[in-house]
Amino acid sequence: MGVRLHVWGERACFTRPELKSERVSYDVPPPSAARGILEAIHWKPAIRWHIDRIHVLKPIRFQSLRRNEVGAKASAALAARGMAAGRTDGLGLNVDDHRQQRAATILIDVAYVIEAHFTMTEKAGSGDTPAKHISMFNRRAAQGQCFHRPCLGTREFPAEFALLPEGAPLPASDHPAGSVDLGWMLHDIDFADGCTARFFRAKMEDGVLTVPAADSPDLAA
Amino acid sequence: MMAAHRPGPLEALVGYYNRMDDAEEPGWSLEKIGWCIIIDRDGQVVDVLDCHDRNGKKPAPRLLPVPASIKRTVGIAPNFLWDKTSYTLSRTAGTGKRTAQEHAAFVAFHQAQLNGTNDAGLVAFLRFLENWQPDRFNAEPFRSEMLDANIVFRLDGDDDYLHRRPAARRLAERVRETADTRTVFCLVTGERAMPARLHPSIKGVDGAQTAGASLVSFNLDAFCSYDHKQGDNAPTSEGAAFRYGAALNRLLTRNGPNRVRRPVGDATVVFWAEADDPQAARNADDWFQEALHPSVADAGAARAIGDELDAVARGLPLSQLRPDIQPGTRFHVLGLSPNAARLSVRFWQSDSLDAFARRLAAHYDDMRMEPSPWARPPDVNLLLAKTVALQEKFENIPPLLAGEVLRAILAGSPYPRSWLAATLMRLRAGDDPATGWHAAVLRAVLRRARRGANRSDKGDIPVSLDRDYPNIGYQLGRLFAVYELAQRAALGPGVKASMRDRYFGAASATPAGIFAVIIRNGQNHLANVRKKKPGWAAVIEKELEEIFGRIIPAGPLSLPRSLPLEHQAEFAIGYYHQRRERIGGPAGAVADQDAPDAADTAETEE
Repeated sequence: MGVRLHVWGERACFTRPELKSERVSYDVPPPSAARGILEAIHWKPAIRWHIDRIHVLKPIRFQSLRRNEVGAKASAALAARGMAAGRTDGLGLNVDDHRQQRAATILIDVAYVIEAHFTMTEKAGSGDTPAKHISMFNRRAAQGQCFHRPCLGTREFPAEFALLPEGAPLPASDHPAGSVDLGWMLHDIDFADGCTARFFRAKMEDGVLTVPAADSPDLAA
Repeated sequence: MMAAHRPGPLEALVGYYNRMDDAEEPGWSLEKIGWCIIIDRDGQVVDVLDCHDRNGKKPAPRLLPVPASIKRTVGIAPNFLWDKTSYTLSRTAGTGKRTAQEHAAFVAFHQAQLNGTNDAGLVAFLRFLENWQPDRFNAEPFRSEMLDANIVFRLDGDDDYLHRRPAARRLAERVRETADTRTVFCLVTGERAMPARLHPSIKGVDGAQTAGASLVSFNLDAFCSYDHKQGDNAPTSEGAAFRYGAALNRLLTRNGPNRVRRPVGDATVVFWAEADDPQAARNADDWFQEALHPSVADAGAARAIGDELDAVARGLPLSQLRPDIQPGTRFHVLGLSPNAARLSVRFWQSDSLDAFARRLAAHYDDMRMEPSPWARPPDVNLLLAKTVALQEKFENIPPLLAGEVLRAILAGSPYPRSWLAATLMRLRAGDDPATGWHAAVLRAVLRRARRGANRSDKGDIPVSLDRDYPNIGYQLGRLFAVYELAQRAALGPGVKASMRDRYFGAASATPAGIFAVIIRNGQNHLANVRKKKPGWAAVIEKELEEIFGRIIPAGPLSLPRSLPLEHQAEFAIGYYHQRRERIGGPAGAVADQDAPDAADTAETEE
């Protein structure tokens, strides 16, 4: 069963994997980013989201900024050791020791409509029905509820969202008409297969990006 | 309609490589080579050949194709059949702590690689390495200038370099081969191929490390995802990585045709056309270079470009004006900023050349001012230097702003509002508003912001003096200019701290407080002028009266306490328009006789 969600925000950064040390955003959100937004609103192990279409409602505009970040990650191994020993010393990161200046070329003033549906997984119990989950999603989205704040690519760029009820018209679009080939784009990460990135040829028709299904032969990994 | 292709930067660069007619082969790179040592068959040095290009002002090392350079960071890693003197000859001009180790590594590497060869040149090279004594460098034909330059070798009597002998080429390929036989999906080309672990070094970006910096790198934990290592974070084939690197290094060649002559802010900008015919691509490149950066030397060319841009603005396709440019040529612009060992993409624009031409035309149109502050449209660097840089120095241009301005020009998007704020700040800090540069920029920013917001109701901002234009900031700017005229007429042009120096910033930001002073002083100045040049005084008074009539409700006490930034910008525009106006009509003889602007006009018209 399908849902439509209108999302928008002041900034977005859908990082291209090859240009992620000095981030450069894709022109439009890849399906994995859209999936993340839906999952922030409603997700259970019993369901899996599939993105069908992404409508781009505003002209694509970029901006660059430069920020101080850290170059290190918290170590999972150290954390495990700390848990075993019941101590927390040595787990922290000192910002001054790991400071990294990084530039990012991001999108500004974005708005999208995400069209998606979900399927039930093998983890679905007897109480899980599609009707139950769709009404949970619709209720939660309509009320603005979410498990965590959905974001536009990265956590620092929060997404506003509103449910488009069934039958409601799409919001007006300023995106210019025409068809554009955006090259290879990340489809999603295949977590079952060693976290392999899978790609698809992103083509946009009049501002609408049609996303191939997860089992489509058009996907390449 | 065919789908417009809007690729990412890497994909477009690979496309450029595939169209290059003199591309380096995979495994080779162009390096700056200073000298060539000629050895005989016994490995004895016969002579030293200078490879520098001595046509320019300074001798420049020549770019020669050599087996691709090894990525060296802190470790010791020799290159194949060429390297700098510390590796090849064990000599350096620096402190040379590791020189002996480096040379030893160079010798050991070549002994291993060339083991069992029977090629005369390579055997001679091995003998040379065996016999070499660093002290030999002190005598002829060696010279101290050679220190730390890259050295290649040649066998005496041979007409090509040692590394280009067929046996050497075969070995160079073998050196490059790795044990990695796994394949990945390449996100650039879409083919399965051997993955690139490390990406090529990109040289020539201003401010980046001279040894080269990486556009794609995963050199810190925070850049890696899902436990992937290095290049696996973004599966790219070895071939695609080599090709985009070779293409980008070629585009970045200094003084090359595809590089904007001066970095914009901190961004080094390259551009290239996508056309099947290399000549057509070159024509498109040249056109863009000239349109973005009108040449100062060639006034005729600058005028021709100006006319073409006007025609493009009227809707003519560029290919109709310039038959040597293919219709529908795709065009790419890439701005790269340095960040120590990494490069960041400051902006990336990919569109048809016509679209770029239309946007450049719109940019020049948005800045139009009468009378024009410049004889020919300025390039973006000069524009920024004149309007936002301290002391008008290029190095004082705020780098982020510069990048955003160029992006706005190339994308046709609104100019950054910070340009408006920065320009007003320069005016407040004492830049001369009468040059018109600031006014032109302020007009462009305002105009484009309004167009972006579809607020056509507010009317266009005038190009030249428009007495009926209702903006309060604009009219106050005019008022200020006329009072300044009165001051000049009364005290002459030699006033040390003129009204403009003292009050311009305050008058535009907080009119109510300052205009009281200005009007009071103005009465004194006018009284003075009336005695000396009554005709001139009458003209000024008439102009003042006219302006006061428009500041509604009239009267100095109803002036706004403060003006928002947009109106401060209009103030500067109104000031410039009024200042440049020859008031007094046919009786302007009075004005001309005293026109204090004559000197300024001459200086701006170059």
